[in-house]
Parts: sequence; structure tokens; C-alpha cells
Amino acid sequence: MKQSAVDAVIRGLKRAGVSIVCYLPDSLFKELYPALDADPDIRTIQVTNEGEGAAICGGIFLSGKRAALIMENSGLRASVEPLARMGLGAGIPVVMLMSYRGDMGENNWWAVPHGVTMEPVLQALRIPYTVEREEDKIEQAIFDAYELAYSSYYHTAVALSGSIVR
Amino acid sequence: MKRFDCMTKLAARLENELVILSLGASVDEWYNAAPHMRKASLFQQQLGCVTPQAFGLAVGLPDRQIVSLDTDGGMLFNLGILPTLGNESPKNLFVVVWDNEQYQSIGGPKTHTASGTVDLAAMAQGAGIKNAYIARTVEEFDAHCEAGLAANEPYVVIAKVSGTVQPEIKRKHSDGREDKYIFVRHVEATEGITIMGPSEHN
Repeated sequence: MKQSAVDAVIRGLKRAGVSIVCYLPDSLFKELYPALDADPDIRTIQVTNEGEGAAICGGIFLSGKRAALIMENSGLRASVEPLARMGLGAGIPVVMLMSYRGDMGENNWWAVPHGVTMEPVLQALRIPYTVEREEDKIEQAIFDAYELAYSSYYHTAVALSGSIVR
Repeated sequence: MKRFDCMTKLAARLENELVILSLGASVDEWYNAAPHMRKASLFQQQLGCVTPQAFGLAVGLPDRQIVSLDTDGGMLFNLGILPTLGNESPKNLFVVVWDNEQYQSIGGPKTHTASGTVDLAAMAQGAGIKNAYIARTVEEFDAHCEAGLAANEPYVVIAKVSGTVQPEIKRKHSDGREDKYIFVRHVEATEGITIMGPSEHN
């Protein structure tokens, strides 16, 4: 990621009121994690899998603070059980920001399944999402994801792809 | 050691704490053992989510004592939370694992802890949680509750309990959604904050 894209993500998170981020580091967001770690207004929590991160974000929601789950889109598959339980069972929302592995232009065979499964899994869970490929859309997309999550009390997601992450 | 007797001891020590608890028969037992904590307890039907949610709550409310009432099946489902707690070291999280060595809600098939060789307390210690213990008597459990609620670092007690369920207890009627609203409104009232506020327009 370019520094300008990293900055746009952090601007979006701050504008949405996010003060805690859970992440499992991945390659396409490589430059984002140290920037989040270094930001004095954001607490970062590294997790062992994205499902654990989703559940932690659910607990943070219950505290009145705003959290983000940041991950590669493969982490969505690891998160399905807690997302279904919290979202459909209790109305506890998690906002996700994910890198879009497996989109057009993917040059790793192992990342192809991530692209095949991401949107169908989001749709199966009835999770509204946007896919952003232009840097100037990032900040507003993140802000909007929180607006809807806190109106619906349900999960939302933003996937970043294209030149933003390559 | 009966879980309900342990719950009664723990409940007597709680007043302003917040509790996240696991699925199964322990829900109705807690509902009856701690009637004064009903609004302050989030009854969640989520294997593997309980201690992570409690940790998230502890992060968001660092001045409030949080109690996680997890289970052997729930902890085994997501052991990754243990090293996360070890690394993050929240000062306000007390974790109880009701270890009845079975999946009680479907009639008692064994969990891995039934083998006698799987030691959740040792696993927690290996994950960097210094205060991780097994309690086999109500007296031991009560002593760990006193220490765990006063600790300034994560404290985990594995309560080895029988597979029995307290008979003739009142069933909780609410679902997960109603439970969430009750809990959130309690947190809002006691913290003086807004979690689920009004829409832009009515």
C-alpha cells in the first residue's frame, strides 16, 4: 500500500470514531499495521485468528467503543461462525476492513479461493459491503460502513482492491 | 463439585461487575444463582466467543471488572484467546472455565478434558497467563474468586465441576437479541455512556 492509502484508511477509521483495531497481519495490508500500531489514538490488538478478532470486536461494541476488524479476505471464512452468532443471533455488529485477495489481477494460485468465496460468503451472511479500488473513495467508504452498522446493528464490510493494495 | 454451588459463591462477591457467559445449562443456573446480576450478565449462545467478547469488553471499559464464565468446550473451540490474553494482559478480566468434561447441552459426550491429560490451566500458563489454576473444591474456587477479582492481571480458574444441573430452576425466557438490549442499557446506565443511541430522524 502507498502511504497515501494508509493515511486514507486511518482517516476513515478516525472519522468513524474507531479507537481499537483487531488484526491478523496479511501481506496486502503490510504497510497499514505498523502505521496503526504507531498511531497514538488507536489501540491495536493482534489476534490468532479472525474469528477471535470478530468476537473481541463484538465485546468492544458492548463497551461503547468503536472497533474495526482488519484482515485479508480469507479471514472472513475463519470468522463466519462468530459473525453469524453475534450478528444474526444477538444483533452485535462488527465492521470489517479486508484486503481483496483473488480479485482481477491476482497472480498467486493460493489466493484464488479468497476471491471465489469472499462475495458469496458476505452475501450468505447478508452483510452489506463495498469494494473500493480507488484511493479517494477509501475514507468515505469506511465512514459509511460504520453509519450503516450502527443503524442496522449488523455487520458491514469494506474490501480494498486494485491499485490501493498493489 | 457442583457448578451451581460455585456460582452461588461467585455471585456473592459480585456487585458492579459485568459478566459474559457461555451457552448451555449454565445459563439458567447463573440466572438463578445471581439474580442481582441478570441485567449485568450477557447470556450468549456462542461456543468460542465468550472469553474473546469478555476481553473486548474489558479493553473498552478498562475501569470496570469483567468476568467471563466460559466452558471447557468453549475454550477448546478457540484456544487462541489464551495467548492473546497473555500478550495483552488486561488488568480487569477474571476468567472462569466451567470444566465438566462434556458437551452437556446435548446430553454429555466427552470433551478433550475428560481424558485427564488435557490441562487447560497449564495451557493458559504456557500462553503467558501466570495466574491460571484448577479448582476442585468449592472452597478452592471461592478463594480463586477472591484473588481473581482483585488481581491486576488476567486470572483464569478452571473449575472442575460435575455434569449435573441444578434441578427445578427458573428458565430464562429471553433470546440473544433481548439479552443484548438489556445488557447494553445496563452498561449505558451504569457507565453514563450511549452505546445504542437515537437515529438521525424518528
